[in-house]
Amino acid sequence: MEIITKQFGKLEFDEEIIIEFKEGIFGFSEYHKYILITEEEGLFYWLTNIEEPEIMFPLFSVRLLEENYPLIEGYEAFGIVRMDKNPLNITVNLKAPVYISQNEKIGFQKILDNDNYQIDYKLFVEK
Amino acid sequence: MLVLTRKLNEKIRVGNDIIINVLAINENQIKLGIDAPNDVKIYREEIYEKVKDYAVEAAKRSTDKPEQDIKQLAVNKLNVLDVRKKED
Repeated sequence: MEIITKQFGKLEFDEEIIIEFKEGIFGFSEYHKYILITEEEGLFYWLTNIEEPEIMFPLFSVRLLEENYPLIEGYEAFGIVRMDKNPLNITVNLKAPVYISQNEKIGFQKILDNDNYQIDYKLFVEK
Repeated sequence: MLVLTRKLNEKIRVGNDIIINVLAINENQIKLGIDAPNDVKIYREEIYEKVKDYAVEAAKRSTDKPEQDIKQLAVNKLNVLDVRKKED
């Protein structure tokens, strides 16, 4: 298959890598088929919709932030990243993680019933 | 919109499988118990809206490139944030 994205231009991929989001991402419930793009040496993953490739969510692996973060067996947990020209304003949504099973090729987003996690957690601090 | 009046411990049934029970009433707060099948997702509306708006904004800004090299920054740890909060 082939899609054209703003971020990466033309992408060719095997249908086998498509991840099915049965209920979509919040606000995008009508879109179900995504691929997860990893950049070499990049900090972010890019969850790209193949039905509408303009729809792309940068993701950050939550495991790097906190060891005790609620995990689901077989799934990797990611937070949706809101980019910003000023990196100190880049945030990650820890309240509503995206869980992805790379083996099963399924994913879903869940709102955690836990007040410890912020929707707009600032990802970077100055060293 | 359907408007119903309920007293403490009176219930509302939505469809065949969902029951909402008034568990406690205070001056400006009520506590509800909701019994629903697992596949029915229940959210606090204001949080649902925020999560939705956040995703829309994240998709819109996904191609924004940081002007500064992010490798020069440290990834914020939750405990770092906690410390920062206490200092504020």
